[in-house]
Parts: sequence; C-alpha cells; structure tokens
Amino acid sequence: MRKIINDPDRFVDEMIEGIVLAHPEKVRLASTDPRVLVRTDAPVKGKVGIVTGGGSGHLPLFKGYVGAGLCSGVAIGNVFSSPSSRQCFEATKAVDGGAGVLYLFGNYGGDVLNFGLAADLAEFDDIETRTVLGRDDVASQPKERSADRRGVAGIFFAFKGAGAAAERGDSLEEVATVAEDIIENTATMGIGLSPTILPTTAKPSFELPDGEMEIGIGIHGEPGIHRGPLETADQIVDRLLPPLIADLSLSSGDSVAVLVNGLGATPLEELYLLYRRVHQLLSEQNISIEKRYIGEYATSLEMAGASLSLLKLNDARKALLDAPADSPFFKEA
Amino acid sequence: MNGQELSASITNALADVVKHADELRDLDAALGDGDLGITVSLGAKAVIEALAELPDTANPVEIARTCAAAFADANPSTMAALVAGGLLAGSRLWADKTDVTVADAAAFVTSAAENIGKRGRSQVGDKTILDSLMPAAQALGESPDSGVALDAAIAAAEKGVQDTVSMQSRRGRASWLQERSIGLQDPGATLLWYFLRSWKTSN
Repeated sequence: MRKIINDPDRFVDEMIEGIVLAHPEKVRLASTDPRVLVRTDAPVKGKVGIVTGGGSGHLPLFKGYVGAGLCSGVAIGNVFSSPSSRQCFEATKAVDGGAGVLYLFGNYGGDVLNFGLAADLAEFDDIETRTVLGRDDVASQPKERSADRRGVAGIFFAFKGAGAAAERGDSLEEVATVAEDIIENTATMGIGLSPTILPTTAKPSFELPDGEMEIGIGIHGEPGIHRGPLETADQIVDRLLPPLIADLSLSSGDSVAVLVNGLGATPLEELYLLYRRVHQLLSEQNISIEKRYIGEYATSLEMAGASLSLLKLNDARKALLDAPADSPFFKEA
Repeated sequence: MNGQELSASITNALADVVKHADELRDLDAALGDGDLGITVSLGAKAVIEALAELPDTANPVEIARTCAAAFADANPSTMAALVAGGLLAGSRLWADKTDVTVADAAAFVTSAAENIGKRGRSQVGDKTILDSLMPAAQALGESPDSGVALDAAIAAAEKGVQDTVSMQSRRGRASWLQERSIGLQDPGATLLWYFLRSWKTSN
C-alpha cells in the first residue's frame, strides 16, 4: 500500500484535525465529536442551515463544501461509510439559526437512514428539516428510475445553488426547491481506470485489469455499464457526453454548466483533454457553456479516472452559480 | 404503567434478551453480515445505562426517546437506525402521557412498524423484522384485556418468525442471497419475538 498514513484507524480523525488546524478562520468542530465540522460563523440567525455528510475518502466532497455561500455543516463518516445519526443531529443543532435546516447529501442507504433518524431527533427539538438527495449518476439507473440513482460529483452544483439561496435569505422551502431543481437538471457519468485502496483493509475496492476502463463507475467503485480496453480522451468523452445530453433533453440553443471532475489520481492535464472534447462537441450542437469547473470536486481516494457532469441552465440557476462562495477547498474564480 | 415501571420493564427485558446475542449473530451471519449480535448487545447495554441516568420522574415519551438515541448511537447499523426511528415515531403518540396502557402500547408498536416499513422501504413478506412486528402490533391492538395482550403478541410474533423461514429475503444484504435465503429464519424478526418473550419472563 503506497499511502502516507499514520494509524489506519485514526485516518479520518487525523485528516479532520489537519483541516481544522489549517483553516481555523473558516471551519471549526461543532462539539467534542471529532466528526462534525461547521462554518466558524454557524449558526447564522434567521438563515437556513445546510447540512451535508457521507463517508470520507471523497475530498473535497462533503467537508470541502462547508463555507460561505455553500453548506453550513457536515457529518463525516469513516472511509466510504455513513456518519452516525448522532453526528448528523449534532451538525443540525450546530447550524440551526431558527429558519430550519436542509439536509443535502447523496442517495446511499446508510446516509439516508442516519439523516432520516437525525431529522426525527431534530423534530423533537423543534428544528424543522427538509431532505434533498443528490442522485445524478445516469449510469446507475435509467431516467424513469432516476429517484434511485446514486449521487456523485454533480451534487456540487446543488451545494453551490442551495448555498447561494440560503445566503440570500430564502426560506427552508425555497432552498429545498432550489436544490431539488438543480439536481433534477444535473446529469453525471464517470469512468474508472484503477481501483482505490481502502486504508483500513489495504485492499483494492474493485478489480480492474491494467489497460482497461470501466464506464459508469460509482465513486466507491460500484460497477458501471461497460468495461473494455482503455480508449483515447476523445473517445471517452464521445461515450460519456451523449447520454448526459439525452438525459437532460438538451438541444440547440440551450446553455449548460460543465464539471470535469478528477477521481483522485488523474492529473489536471488529462481533465483538460476531456474538457477540450466536451467543448468541441457541445459547440457543434450549438449548446453554450456558461460556467465551467475543471479539477477535483468528488474523488475516490486515489482512484484514477474522471467524471463529467452537466447542469442545464436557466437564468435562475445561472445566477445561483454566479453568487460568491468560499471554502477552504472551493474558491470562485 | 407509569414512567418508572416502563423504564424498569425495558431494562429487565433488555438484560434478558442479550442472552440470545450469539444466536442472533449466527442467524444474521447466515443471511447478512452478522452484526446483529453486536447491535443487540451494545445497544441493550447503552439503553440500560442511559435509562439509569434518567430521573425517576421521566415520563414515557422521554424514556422512549432516550432508548432510541442510545440504541442508535451504540452501534450505528441499519437495524439500529430503523429501530431507533421506530421508537421515535411511536413515542410521538405518547406526547403528554404519564401512564401508558395496552392500547397505548399497541398504537406505539403499530406506528413504530409503519415507520420502519417506510424508512426501510419494506413490507410484511419481505423477510425482515416487520414479519414479526406487524402481527405483534395487531395482536396487541386486538387484546382489550391487558392480562393476555402480551401472550397474544408473543404468539403472533412467533408465528411471524416461523413464516419467515420459507420466505425469500427482499431487503438489505440478505436479498443478495436470493433463493438461497429460503429456509433460513430471519434474524430481525427473531429479535423482536425474543424481546417480547424476555419482557414477559423478566418482569
């Protein structure tokens, strides 16, 4: 295992400790629990709080989107496993400013259960909550079963939009509607080239022979929809992009935001090769790119590969993406 | 039953049901990942400790809520989250009550079962805890005489457990076994049956 690590069992706690030590002006622990991180200014009175959460191993996903104009707090689980309901609830209490709390996280069983229970606990404390699930991975379920799709990198758009809505003072209902609207208009598909090694087991998360690629892979190495020999950057985009265009029913004259996301071990250079082809193809179809994000937004430790997300834009969604935001991991260019 | 009596009954029942932790682990290992034994033993210990911390004046809703939080926290498994959510759902019906009757218990268990079904997206026949919980709730509801209500619930739960043997698992890890799950007794349903039995024998 080629990892820079102390004790595998302390991996997550030490990583969070590092983040808090590095960015004390932006984030702090909510309580004595080392797994609940909030913005330093939380709770903001009268404003909707946004709590996200999920397993570790996806930085900057989840913890990296706690910041101004983004989420208010995060409950952090072990690598690839859910935070506890207690941690979700602690985060809720720490960010509630009296206007309610939106839960915004990916569509994974353990997370759904534990946030669900946290919502029950919050209700007893008279904290109103709403839940919106990221479910943008088009490879995981067909369009007619989109409610069962996995959440992957595209949830970033929902963090950005919902965060902007909360910042401008929208009600809980309105912030939840914004998040739901963005997720319904987001589609993602990924490609994996190598597995990740889990720190605690020191074993690969899945098997993929050298020189092969898996199209439609999930961020925990969940099976995709096609496995075959590794193709060129252009050929990969030619596989990833058309299903997204179809899923969002994009046509000439539409505009989108594009997210080219690295899964952890793929260099930026290669991501820009992918973006180049995306730009070519969308231009050919007269679909304009209004916003672009290229880098690591949702990783899978050191998995090699990338995902491509599109958000269909309208004026409202564009304005939410344009609003200022700042976290230790995300800065609007 | 007032708060103090309820708290004592729960404590006694949990102290008894953990004797079956190894058996529940083995049942779960055959069908799922084998963590039910740990969920039960750690959860019961945590609940007993949390209840001991409560003042004698705690009312039934506070007791149920304390049980839920302690159980979920002790070992955050799927079963723990489902059971805790069920307890919270049931406790809402006890809002201002200082005493709970058999009818209150029946309403509680029914609401808990509905919550578990909703959150776990499962129903009777899927080979889960609901297969003993739902019949037990129904039996409690149909027993106006508190003397026989618990016996009726235990008998209904036992039949529910026996029914799971011939079922194919449709939820959770057990569902991956598909037809190989047929012939195995559901551990979650068994847990509920044993808990009711422990409630009777230890109180």
